Amino acid sequence: MGLFFRRVTRSAVMKATALMGDSPLFLVNYLMRLLRVVVLLTLWRSLLPTHGTTSGLTLGQVLTYTVVGAAAAELLACRTWLEDSFWSGAIAMRYLRPMGIFLQFSAEMMGPIVLGIACFSVPLLALSPLLGVNPLPANLGAGALFPVSLALAVTICLAIEYLFSGFAVAIQMHPYAINSMRAAVWAVLSGAFLPLDLLPWGLGRVFEWLPFAATASSPLKIYIGSGAPLPMMAVQVGWAVLLWPIAIWVWNANRERMVAYGG
Amino acid sequence: MEAEKPTPVPLRLFRLWGVYARMDLLLLTRDLKSFLVWSLSDAITNVAAVTGMLFLAARFRGIGSWSQPQIVFMLGYAALVEGLGSLFFNYNVLHISRRIGRGQLDHVLIQPQPLWMTLLTEGFSPAFSLPMAAPGIGMLLWALPRLTMGVSFPAFVLNLISSTAVLLGFQFLWGSLAFSAPRAAEEINSSTLDLMNQLKQYPLNGTGGLLRFGLLTLLPVGFLAWVPCQALLGMDRSALGIYKTPLAALVFGLLAAAAFGKGMRYYARIGSQRYTDFGHRS
Repeated sequence: MGLFFRRVTRSAVMKATALMGDSPLFLVNYLMRLLRVVVLLTLWRSLLPTHGTTSGLTLGQVLTYTVVGAAAAELLACRTWLEDSFWSGAIAMRYLRPMGIFLQFSAEMMGPIVLGIACFSVPLLALSPLLGVNPLPANLGAGALFPVSLALAVTICLAIEYLFSGFAVAIQMHPYAINSMRAAVWAVLSGAFLPLDLLPWGLGRVFEWLPFAATASSPLKIYIGSGAPLPMMAVQVGWAVLLWPIAIWVWNANRERMVAYGG
Repeated sequence: MEAEKPTPVPLRLFRLWGVYARMDLLLLTRDLKSFLVWSLSDAITNVAAVTGMLFLAARFRGIGSWSQPQIVFMLGYAALVEGLGSLFFNYNVLHISRRIGRGQLDHVLIQPQPLWMTLLTEGFSPAFSLPMAAPGIGMLLWALPRLTMGVSFPAFVLNLISSTAVLLGFQFLWGSLAFSAPRAAEEINSSTLDLMNQLKQYPLNGTGGLLRFGLLTLLPVGFLAWVPCQALLGMDRSALGIYKTPLAALVFGLLAAAAFGKGMRYYARIGSQRYTDFGHRS
């Protein structure tokens, strides 16, 4: 167990220190994300009434949703970039390491996430009262259920990650095409930036049943106290149980067909 | 023996664009699967990129002082700016930090033509990029007949080119950091481009003085759609209205040229430590 833990933490640390690289320029990314949050908050303030609700959401709830969504962005849309390693050829060396492929990439994923939490999420949540946003959960129950829902969201995200990686091997396409399409569709369907309740024509009620919503909308709605948490978490569990066997099957069925490009 | 007359620059540019357009088409159409996957993914990506704001405009019948057709016009304009950027400056010209950071600028420098000419032509990518521009054109065509006032076509073209120039200048300004920090800044243009693309679709009317100033200077996202569309749609009636974005393009072009020139002088002395003798970045 100790060895396992050490392997995982070492992988995460390696990735995080590689990201920090040879210059503090990596911090610019976080400044840009902060700017984006500020613009989004301005947009909501110009759209929603100060008093009363819109589709059951108050302005305060939407602002908290936006800030917490930005703070937890790396967990809500967690990426291992496994499919990029097919393209660069780095995957070949991965098979020589004494860790499973999924575990290697999942462990490495945690490095930038922890770095992001330290450099962006915590400062953002601390600064949010200055932006006129209450960063606290709606109530104690919401605060207690949020981490559970967030963990389920990460589980589903990873399942989708490996599912897409399996498809990437199957169709042997440049990962850019798949990544950009997936990111764009996720941004709309997950509710990470735009609460699904605010979508027109009742689309949100349809989207909330999709796995993308289970990765972002569900934990964020639980945090702000919108909707019943247990049914949302039940949907999350359902997607996790459904997607993981499919992801493993797709991966196992296609890994022998893998061609590593580059060198 | 008489020396061969040099080809006039405009003709040379068109020839190069022709060469790169053909190569781009060959790359896209090398097989049916590639063609379908790339075209489909680009179309979906670009429609999805503006869908959020379209949903909001539909849900709230406009955004702030912007009516629904005005918002759709602005989104179409913004998508077209992104499409033009990709059309003329693809293949990591718009992501210049990647080329500089990876030591790939050497590939450009060894070509028998000026650096500016290579950078202006090498990224021409009509086959890959036209699907990106299509949603923008579609939105503009939907919005135009529904607007209460007409849009001047020359002013539209001038502003569209200027907005693309602001985007290019901003990318080169930040990308020049990769001369001195090749590893750390290699992907900085991914961050700057993502941010510009994400923020360009928002009307900035509600932003406060300091934030708005920042969004027009440090991060000139306002010039990618908001400022020019306000002028084109008659919401900014000041005398300078339609010239604000061209002026911004001039300023950012000069700043980018100065930063890139300084970086090139540094590169001439130091070179790239990331380019190894077997051609792969370290």
